[in-house]
Amino acid sequence: MMHCTMDDLLALRAGEASVWARRHAEECATCRAELEALYQRVAQLKALPALHPPRDRWSVVRATVRTDRNRRRRTWGGWGLAAAAALAGALLVPGLLGSNGTLQAELSKAKNQSATLQDQVDGYDVDGRVLTGRMAAKLAELEDRIAVIDSDLERRGTLKPQAQDAELQLWKQRVDLMRQLVNVRVSTARYVGL
Amino acid sequence: MTVALAVPDILVARAQAGDEAALEALYRAFETPVYNLARRMLRNAEDAEDVLQETFLEVVKSIRTYRGEGHLWGWVRRIAATKALMRIRREQLRATEPMDEEPGKLGMHVGANIDLERAFEQLSDTSRSVVWLHDVEGYTHEEISELMGKSVSFSKSQLARAHARLRRTLGEGEGAST
Repeated sequence: MMHCTMDDLLALRAGEASVWARRHAEECATCRAELEALYQRVAQLKALPALHPPRDRWSVVRATVRTDRNRRRRTWGGWGLAAAAALAGALLVPGLLGSNGTLQAELSKAKNQSATLQDQVDGYDVDGRVLTGRMAAKLAELEDRIAVIDSDLERRGTLKPQAQDAELQLWKQRVDLMRQLVNVRVSTARYVGL
Repeated sequence: MTVALAVPDILVARAQAGDEAALEALYRAFETPVYNLARRMLRNAEDAEDVLQETFLEVVKSIRTYRGEGHLWGWVRRIAATKALMRIRREQLRATEPMDEEPGKLGMHVGANIDLERAFEQLSDTSRSVVWLHDVEGYTHEEISELMGKSVSFSKSQLARAHARLRRTLGEGEGAST
């Protein structure tokens, strides 16, 4: 007599068996016992005890978190230096103040504002403090949006004069987001102070 | 092992903001289920520990991309399963062992009274992974095939072969489902 294969039994368990397998399982005690054994095996697998990690790996993960955070700060700090250099360049090189002098001046101003705000953000460092979920989410959102702009600015590199208008818009957006970030960090510091 | 870990949204939001205490709380909540999953899929305990570490490095790196669709454990578990499967694939490439091949390398006699845990450990990494992901973690064959980069029929046949082998190893029944 032909019995159900393991494929048939698994299909029966999944409710996807062929008509033949379903009919056979109804009539055959051996195959019903096999199906029951399959259910038992799976139940026993599910009931196996949880295996615990023998060593704590959090310290390694935490070290990586801190390294990444420091790297990000250095990147932001780099933007501050770049802004200062750009401002100095604009003041020292009269050639830049030609037909697009206004644009250059605005660009330098935005970069300078961004650098100043960056200093303020660093002054209200809230890392390690307890945050409310709402503030944490807001900080994350702002930092994400700034990171996107930074990445865009980085990709652009050296720009042709006609693309500088777009760069200016990005720097203005960055300044706006940095202002919001400062406000959230000031609020957080006050909240923690209470 | 059944995991029903409810993580408060507030904790996720704090972790997304890079709050170290929140990230550690997530690690503490998931370290055992992640290690258990990896250890059940992998033969070697040290490999499972490495998967635990790699999983949380990925969690920390990508937590901001988690938008709250589905349970957080589902998201973390998928990362862990992917890491474990990548390790299996690497080992197989190194050993030039095809994915669906039973290892048969233990060279030990297994009696009828061998327990399920030992029988399970004797399955190939691939078979063990399919059994664990499907029967214990509740993944569908479609999801497993996607994780493994294989077909649905591959996942189904691995499961059938694994259960046939478990049945033989455990000395269950005679006559049917061979």
